[in-house]
Amino acid sequence: MPQHHAIVTVEMPSGGDVPIVRHRLRGAQPGPRVAIVAGIRGDTPEGIRVATDLLRFLVGVEADLRGTVDLYPCANPLAAHRGSRRWPFFDVDLNRLFPGRADGHPPDRVAHALVQDVIGADQVIELRGAHPAFREVPQAHVRHRDPEAAELAMHANVAVVWSRHPGPAAASTFAYQLPGTIVLEGGTGNRLTAGVSRDLTEGVINLLNTVGVLPDQHLPFHWAALTRPLRVTDDKVVRVRAGRGGLFMPEGSPWSEVQAGDLLGRVVDPVQGGEGEPIVSPVSGRLMAVREQPVVFPGSMVARVVVADSPEASEGP
Amino acid sequence: MSVVFRMDAPYRGAYELHRLTFGSGSPTVSIVAGLHGYELTGLHAVNMLATMLRVQPPRGTVHLLPLVNTFGADEARKRWPFDDQDINRAFPGDPSGTAVQRIAHALLEHSTADVCVDVHSGAPHVRELPQVRVPLGGEELELGRAMKVPVVWRRPGDRLDATGLVGAWRLAGRRALVVEGGRGSTLDTSHSETIARGLAGLLAHMGVLPAGGGPGTLADVTHAQVAQHRADMGGFFVPEVRIGQQVAGGQLLGHVQAPVGGERLGELRARRKGIVMTLRAYPLVHAQELLVRIAELP
Repeated sequence: MPQHHAIVTVEMPSGGDVPIVRHRLRGAQPGPRVAIVAGIRGDTPEGIRVATDLLRFLVGVEADLRGTVDLYPCANPLAAHRGSRRWPFFDVDLNRLFPGRADGHPPDRVAHALVQDVIGADQVIELRGAHPAFREVPQAHVRHRDPEAAELAMHANVAVVWSRHPGPAAASTFAYQLPGTIVLEGGTGNRLTAGVSRDLTEGVINLLNTVGVLPDQHLPFHWAALTRPLRVTDDKVVRVRAGRGGLFMPEGSPWSEVQAGDLLGRVVDPVQGGEGEPIVSPVSGRLMAVREQPVVFPGSMVARVVVADSPEASEGP
Repeated sequence: MSVVFRMDAPYRGAYELHRLTFGSGSPTVSIVAGLHGYELTGLHAVNMLATMLRVQPPRGTVHLLPLVNTFGADEARKRWPFDDQDINRAFPGDPSGTAVQRIAHALLEHSTADVCVDVHSGAPHVRELPQVRVPLGGEELELGRAMKVPVVWRRPGDRLDATGLVGAWRLAGRRALVVEGGRGSTLDTSHSETIARGLAGLLAHMGVLPAGGGPGTLADVTHAQVAQHRADMGGFFVPEVRIGQQVAGGQLLGHVQAPVGGERLGELRARRKGIVMTLRAYPLVHAQELLVRIAELP
C-alpha cells in the first residue's frame, strides 16, 4: 500500500488545514527514486488527472517496482480548488517562488517543503497543463544543454521534446530546482482534453520503465504504440503573434501541418467587425499551440509553429 | 459551537457552517455575520457579543453565526470564491443546488428565531458609521432604536431583495434588522465594540440581557434625510472630514484632484447640517461615485 504523507500543511485563517500530499510507492527491490509533481498552478487539472491515473496504475504494481515513486498530485490545492493559476489571497504564482522560504508566507513555505522533499530523487517529472488561453500538443520541456534529459524525454510519448534556454524567471520555477527535470504538458488550462491525459500517463509509465523502476511485464501497452517525438531547440519553435488587438479566429488545430504563408487565423475588431487582420505562418511546420481564448492585444501570441525540417516530424500523433 | 451544515470541498477541508448557541427557551434571537467574506468588523462584533454572553447567560436563546462565508474570508473576498457567487443573493437557497444555494438554504434553516439580525461592513472602498437599517415603522423600528447605535436609518422594507437573507427572513415572517459598520477587508475595533454594545442593547430591550446599548444615536433619519454626495468628476478624492463628524451646511467635505499632478478639479460641500455616516476610503473615484453620505439633522 502506498504511504500517504503531508509534506507540509497550510492552516487556514477561518479554520481547517490544507495538506500538500505525497504518495510514496516503494517496490520490494531497490532502485532509483522518481518524483512526479503536479498542480503547481491551479489551472492545470490535466497534470493532476495524469497523477491520479498514475496512482491508480502504480498501486496495482507497487510490489514489483524496483525503487520508489513519489507522487505529489497537487502542490497548490488552494489555487486548484478554485481553478485559478495563482495562489489566492497572496495572489502569487507558486511557480515563481522556488526554491521557497521556510519562514515565508504559506506559498513560500510550500515551495520550500516541495524542493526539500524532492531533493535526492534520481529523476523529477513535473506534470502541467497548458495555459488556459492555448491548446497545446503533448510535449516535453527540458533544460538547454541537458542532453541526458532530452534523450530520456524522447520516451515520454509526446509530439515534441523541446530543449529550452532559461528565461528570465527560470531560476524561480520548479523545473529549474533539480537538474534533469522533465516537464510534461499538453491540452488546455482548466480543461481536460480527450486523449491528452492518456498520452501523458502512458508517457510517464514508459519513462518509469526506461529508468528501470517499472519492469517490462507491467507495461500496459506495446512499445511500438508510442509516439516518436520531434526533438527541437528554441530556434525551431516560432511564436506567431497578433499585430493588432481584437478577437482571434483560428483556422488550424494543434499538430496540423502548415506551409509558410498559410492562413493561421484572423484578428477581427470585435466592435467594427470586417475582414480583420490575416495571420499567416512565417514557416513550414506543424502547429504546436493554437490560441483558444480569442481576446488578443497587439503582440499576443496566437500560435506556436514547430519547424518541420526533420523526417520525424510527420510521425507525430 | 456546533457545525450545523457541512459540504465537501474539492482540494481542501470541508466547508462548515458554525453556530454558537447561548441559553434556551424563548424569546429566540439569531445574529449572523460574515455572509460577505471580507466584512470583518461585524464578525469581530459578534464574537465580542459571544464573550459577553459567556459571562452573562441570556434569558432566552441567542444563536450566533459569526462567519458564514469562511472560504471568502480566507481570501479577503466578498463572494464565494469558487464561482464568485454572492451568498446574499442565493436565498431562499436550495439543498440540492449550487454551493451558495446550499449554504443559503442551511443558513435560513438554522437561523430561525423571533428576531434576526444580519451584520455587515461597508465595501473595502468605503467606511460606514455603525448604523441599523430598519423599516419605516413597527416593531423592527423599536428594536433598531433600542440598539442606540450612531445612526438609525429608516428605509422602506419592501425594497429589500428576497434573494437576500433579510428579505428571506421577512418573507418567512421574522422580524429582521440589518446592521452595518466599518470598512471591508479591515478591522475597526471601535466600530466592532459599538456594534456589539448595540446588539446587547437589542437583547436588553427584549429582556434577554439585563442591560446593554450603544453609545447613543446621533441621527435617526428616513431615506429622504440621507444626503448622497457624489463625485462630479473622476479623480483622486481627498476627504476633509472624518466618519461620525458633525458638519455644518456648506462645510467642505473634501475635494477631487488630478491623480497625476494634483491640480484641484472640484470640491464637495455639505448641503445641510448633519453627521458623516459614509465616507469614501479608496481615493481613486469615477464620476458619479458616492463619496459622502450625510445623515441630516434638523
